[in-house]
Amino acid sequence: MFFYLPMAFFLLFLLFPFYWMVITSIRPDSELYRPWNAINYNPFWTTRPTWEHVRGLLLETLFTTWMWNTMFIALMSTAISLVCGVFAGYALSRLSFPFAGGLGTGIFITYLVPQTLLFIPLAEIIRNYNLGDTPWALILTYPTFLIPFCTWLMMGYFKAVPKELEECARIDGASRWQAMLYIIIPVAIPGILSAGIFAFTLSWNEFIYALVFLSSPDQKTVPVGVTSDLIRGDVFFWGQLMAGALLGSIPVAIAYSFFVEHYVAGLTGSVKG
Amino acid sequence: MARISRRKFLQVSGPGVVAAKAMGMAGILASRTAPAYAQGATVHWLRWNDFVPASDQLLRKEMLPEAEKALGMKITFETVNANDLQPRITSAIQSGAGPDLIMLNNNHPQLYADSLVDLSDIAEATGKAEGGYYPLVRANSNNGQKWLSMPWAIIGAMIAYRKSWFEEAGANSFPETWEAYREVGKKLKAKGRPIGQTLGHTFGDSPTFTYPLLWSFGGKEVEADGRTVAINTKEAVESVAFMTAFWKEAHDEGGLAWDDTNNNRAFLSQTICATLNGASIYIESLRNADKYMTEKGAQLRTDILHSPLPRGPAGQFTMHTYHSHVLPTYSRNQAAAKAFLRWVHAKPVYERWFVSQKGYATPCTAQWEEHKVWSEDPVMAPFKVAGRLGRSPGYAGSSGPKAAEALSKYIVTDMYAKAVQGMPAADAVKWAEGELKGVYG
Amino acid sequence: MAVAAVSTALGDAPPPRRRRLLEDERWLALALLLPTMVLLGLFIAYPFVRGILLSVTDSRVGVSGSFVGLENYYRIWNDGIFRTAVYNTFLYTGVTTVFKLALGLWLAMLLNRNFRGKAFTRAFILLPFIIPTVLSTFAWKWMFDPTFSVLNWVLYRLGAITGRINWLGDPDLAMISIMVVNIWRGVPFFAISLLAGLQTISPELNEAAAIDGAKPWQRFWYVTWPLLLPVTMVVMLFSVIQTFADFQIVYVMTGGGPANATHLFATYAYQIGVGTGLLSQGAAISLAMFPILFLIVVVQLLYIRRVEVR
Repeated sequence: MFFYLPMAFFLLFLLFPFYWMVITSIRPDSELYRPWNAINYNPFWTTRPTWEHVRGLLLETLFTTWMWNTMFIALMSTAISLVCGVFAGYALSRLSFPFAGGLGTGIFITYLVPQTLLFIPLAEIIRNYNLGDTPWALILTYPTFLIPFCTWLMMGYFKAVPKELEECARIDGASRWQAMLYIIIPVAIPGILSAGIFAFTLSWNEFIYALVFLSSPDQKTVPVGVTSDLIRGDVFFWGQLMAGALLGSIPVAIAYSFFVEHYVAGLTGSVKG
Repeated sequence: MARISRRKFLQVSGPGVVAAKAMGMAGILASRTAPAYAQGATVHWLRWNDFVPASDQLLRKEMLPEAEKALGMKITFETVNANDLQPRITSAIQSGAGPDLIMLNNNHPQLYADSLVDLSDIAEATGKAEGGYYPLVRANSNNGQKWLSMPWAIIGAMIAYRKSWFEEAGANSFPETWEAYREVGKKLKAKGRPIGQTLGHTFGDSPTFTYPLLWSFGGKEVEADGRTVAINTKEAVESVAFMTAFWKEAHDEGGLAWDDTNNNRAFLSQTICATLNGASIYIESLRNADKYMTEKGAQLRTDILHSPLPRGPAGQFTMHTYHSHVLPTYSRNQAAAKAFLRWVHAKPVYERWFVSQKGYATPCTAQWEEHKVWSEDPVMAPFKVAGRLGRSPGYAGSSGPKAAEALSKYIVTDMYAKAVQGMPAADAVKWAEGELKGVYG
Repeated sequence: MAVAAVSTALGDAPPPRRRRLLEDERWLALALLLPTMVLLGLFIAYPFVRGILLSVTDSRVGVSGSFVGLENYYRIWNDGIFRTAVYNTFLYTGVTTVFKLALGLWLAMLLNRNFRGKAFTRAFILLPFIIPTVLSTFAWKWMFDPTFSVLNWVLYRLGAITGRINWLGDPDLAMISIMVVNIWRGVPFFAISLLAGLQTISPELNEAAAIDGAKPWQRFWYVTWPLLLPVTMVVMLFSVIQTFADFQIVYVMTGGGPANATHLFATYAYQIGVGTGLLSQGAAISLAMFPILFLIVVVQLLYIRRVEVR
């Protein structure tokens, strides 16, 4: 069957790690740490599921704090980036002014600058403004890679809105600003949602800046916290690590599931635009 | 907790005041000088994830709450993978914010000398009170002008090996020379029980193996003038050639990717016969004696012995991992941090931590060699004199910033790693020479 | 409608209004772009310039250095590990992009049919791309663990191996392992984007070709592929940019090991800059990435433009 077999292979390949995360999170330690060639060993199922890893994760580590931090940072960065991105996208796609093309390209170029180059000079800036070890260090730096994305996405959406709509509003006496605010933007709501969910997932995914600018355990984000605090001494606490990986993925997965269509539209929109 | 009046403190602690004389707050009160830090200050203490988890538990659950009460401050205790300590301090210094007290390995404090607070007052006082530090302590923590870090402990590195397996291979005591060790290792690898050693970029088990290996064949990084790179010698090439053969014949070749935890896991799951490590393997086998059983049904802990590294043509050497705490200049809680350091290094306080380590850590002064912890378990006896026998990186020069840079870049370790991956010994040594020249200028 | 009423009320005076319009537009554009320009200027442009300056000094952590010209670049060029990192990055980007494209295309074509549970499937397969990279990479690291690998277990049970496969310990296998994780993450991105592209191709074109006697692969090559090319090129552009600067996967899986065999530009820059504290050399390594990336992007952009024109 040329369809079902490859499809099954893809689904297995793409989704097995998640199953593995789930299974590892609920297996007791005695079952987890058995070498790959041990006899009588079935890694894919457990008859004695346990909540001890999840409980340990939630009660003994600062995991919940990290979740709050990451959520806060992600929402704030997304908000800032959306505002900037919508405005910039509108300006670049529907207004004519000198250097429009150059600015658009300039925004694109910023996407190419590697984070590993920026983080040391950025650390200095963070230090000068006393933002080190606070969520604001990230809330202000995440938009640097979120805004370009949001801008392109919105440009694509705005381009698709017919000019007549705006002209009608202007004839009605609205200023350009009012036209933008009350007519065009509401029409581009799907685009805004797409950009928003995209920015949200990208914020959760960021690692380097969080690794370098945050230090105190109660300021960390989920990716940094899971990487640094769940490996103790000789032991990788795999049970808790996988539970952490799973729980850490859930907010993003949930947000995504509500906006799947928008996410996909955003993905393809950015690619087509 | 924040504002405790003098009278209230004395009332509450009553008879305990005398016993608490060693403790900071009471000591300060007794001397009638006000504490120099504000009440309610927070001190963020960063250490590695201790390979003896019981000590971290002791700190978290008992000692630090006591310190908080005694000193009137809040202490945030964070532990990370030891390999992350250097990136943390770099990021912290660059961002201008981070932990107040950071534990560093070996001579790493030398790399950050300009960003660290001078700890000479506390270090000298403790050293004097305890009869003087071991030479390697001063070599790593002092840069000739000031004490960069407060010495904490020396983690002795020894070979942990399976007594019964070695006996089966014909060695009734641990082989004395590298050649003899190689022979035993060959036999054991043939039986599926190789030696386990890391040659990866990990702070502990790699340098503590490769540096003494180099020294025991007569090799060294620089001359005594501390400037002339002297690694490209016949002796060094010999040691590299030996290691290449030794690796193939007797080692678990996955060791290239190991960090400091893999050999512990491998030994405890009985896939290797011997490994260079701190005492954490043995201590873990004690802690969970019934979890680790040999194939003959005995508890694993009864089959583990320790020995220093074997002898080479030029002698027998060891390099231990040395731990000390630095106080960076960006810290806004310097007075509080210093007060905490004084408190924790008071003899009765430090002793509690030391005892919880069960000999995994050796304190930095000779006085502690008399402690009864060492006579409790004969298997741990070799670790007692770790402080005396260790040599520091940067030999034959000093263990200063250049030696620290070379150590951080794993130049010596990589020399061996390259060779076992196929580079001819002479080329590997030549490569190391080039790298060292880049460091030493 | 109100339009007519309002326009009579305003009267017609096009010229003055047009002039106001123009000024309006420029001020509005400035106002709208200001927040973006401030943020990007302060947090990208300015640090970028400082990064360049950093790379021509000999700064280390806590010690601001003095100007040394191109010495750092000379030093890293002679650094064997840097050369390995460059080679690795190109290899990593090249191989993973080819696989992501091939597998993504295949999956897109599979998804292009109508079948039960299609929406569900489409949503699920994007999961690897959505989930934070660090977290999913840990799951893979656990799957590749030297002692407890489930992959080894499966292969052992199938009788395919007798000794253990050292996924993360052997230099070549480690490269393959990180490539696998990158491909795993990237295939959904390619698949969904290409699917959108496929859906814009009218099925009648394929049918017409079939009637003309074209075989399936010919239909693909001469009908589908050219129409898909614009989308493909854009997707590849994004993917290449991301993959070239990849950090998280290598950091979690191997940390650059074993023995520096899997270092990429970003991880090596981090290790030298932040790990060893040699900030200037780290900056030089990162900067070395930029022109190459720029070149790749320019080439691809030109190609896209040419394709679109056609």
